[in-house]
Amino acid sequence: MYLVWYGFSADVVGVEMAIPRKTRIYIWFRLLLLQASWNFERLQGIGFFYCLLPGLKKLYSGEKLLTVSRKYAGYFNTHVYLAPMVAGAVLKLEEDRAQGIVDPALEADDFKEMVAAPYAAIGDALFWGGVRPLAAGVALFFAIKGILWAPLIFLLVYNILPMWFRTVFFARGYRQGMRSVEFIQQHRLPDWAIHTKEAAVVVLGGLSAFMVYSHLNQVGLPSWLGMLTLIPMVILVLVARQGLSPLLLILITGGSIFLIGLFGADMICLLESWGLK
Amino acid sequence: MVASLTIGALVSLVCGLDRVAILQIMISRPIVAAPLTALLLGEPLIGLQIGVMVELLWLARLPVGAAIPPDDTQVAISSSVLAIIMAKTLSASGTELFLLCLLIAIPLGKVGQYFDHYARQYNIRLTKKVDSALENGSLLTAELQHLRGLGSFSLAAIGTYAVIMLGGLLTIPLLWPFLQHPLSHSSGWIQLAFPLVGIAVILGTINVSRALTLFCTSFGMAFLLMWLV
Repeated sequence: MYLVWYGFSADVVGVEMAIPRKTRIYIWFRLLLLQASWNFERLQGIGFFYCLLPGLKKLYSGEKLLTVSRKYAGYFNTHVYLAPMVAGAVLKLEEDRAQGIVDPALEADDFKEMVAAPYAAIGDALFWGGVRPLAAGVALFFAIKGILWAPLIFLLVYNILPMWFRTVFFARGYRQGMRSVEFIQQHRLPDWAIHTKEAAVVVLGGLSAFMVYSHLNQVGLPSWLGMLTLIPMVILVLVARQGLSPLLLILITGGSIFLIGLFGADMICLLESWGLK
Repeated sequence: MVASLTIGALVSLVCGLDRVAILQIMISRPIVAAPLTALLLGEPLIGLQIGVMVELLWLARLPVGAAIPPDDTQVAISSSVLAIIMAKTLSASGTELFLLCLLIAIPLGKVGQYFDHYARQYNIRLTKKVDSALENGSLLTAELQHLRGLGSFSLAAIGTYAVIMLGGLLTIPLLWPFLQHPLSHSSGWIQLAFPLVGIAVILGTINVSRALTLFCTSFGMAFLLMWLV
């Protein structure tokens, strides 16, 4: 049991696995297509059924297989990188049920519904809200320097964690079934999300300073002027907090800079014509 | 031009699918998609510059639940293709041209949201077909319905790309003679403003207490370090 808990192959400690390793790998690859038929009615529902089907075929046949399949083709939505863990756990629960080990407290599809929303919230905060801006910030340092490897750096920095989640958490889900929830709790993923977001904010602060400093040097203006950037930035942040769309913000900012540029150029021409420059 | 458009369409298809339907390894992010497109068209640096400007712009719009963010993937790809084609057609170069391409592509990128919405709406039909296939006992038909969803997302990606390209190819040659000179006064500053606005939006929406304090401290420290070194 100890070995199973800490992630060693359950085959080693004699727990029978009805779904062969080859099928599990096949399911893992199918999970990369989870959202192929995403729709407003069942969201990832059909995709979840599609991913589980090879495993279900190993457990059931005939009318029973169709009944179980119908159950999984219903509504389902969670974070795409945490879906493998749900899939693994559900397969384990179905495997137990097929072997006659039934938990009267919770059915496999109840478990799926119970964990989907909390996992989605954790995944959204961690990956979309934290890791993605962090990886983008790191890669943009290289891109601004004109280093063509920047996209690869982004892909590398970003994908380490999702790939780990997709593989290790799928295996954990299958080994631990319902107890995989404890694995998530143990790792305090919501705390990870907050720390990653904080790191992203710090990286974006450094990136902004780097961009402003480089630009001022490029146009030959004194570097200390760059500190004044914080004033429009704070204003923009406060405006963004009011819910103004980024598109509108960029059009207003871009338009203002364009007009100031035109006005400045006209003023320079005027001063030149007066012989003042 | 046809070859460039076709290469752009292929990248748009692959990256468009990565966005929602398959993989999600983030080759759809502008910082990857734009340089990739431009690399295939022989001008990787243009793509890199466009990627830098678009990457942070809508990063704060999270694809949570049924929310659909604007299609920054197609904006980045189309802008890269437009900039490279227009540079040859108009015999022009420099920041001003790709900035104009981007300024045309960004509002048109909103179309991507509608196409994506239609694709997801269309896929509801597939759920009925899956139900009926399962009623009839045909698991293979049910599985194939799922894969048919890829068709909707592919059409949405290509549709967005086509709209932006068409809009750009029709308007940029008309606007360029009027905007080339005025843009030259402010192109560098606009290029700087794009990522900064994106960062401001991220800071405004990121759920971190003291985000502004952290940002200002990090900005100040980095700036001082660069100034002193």
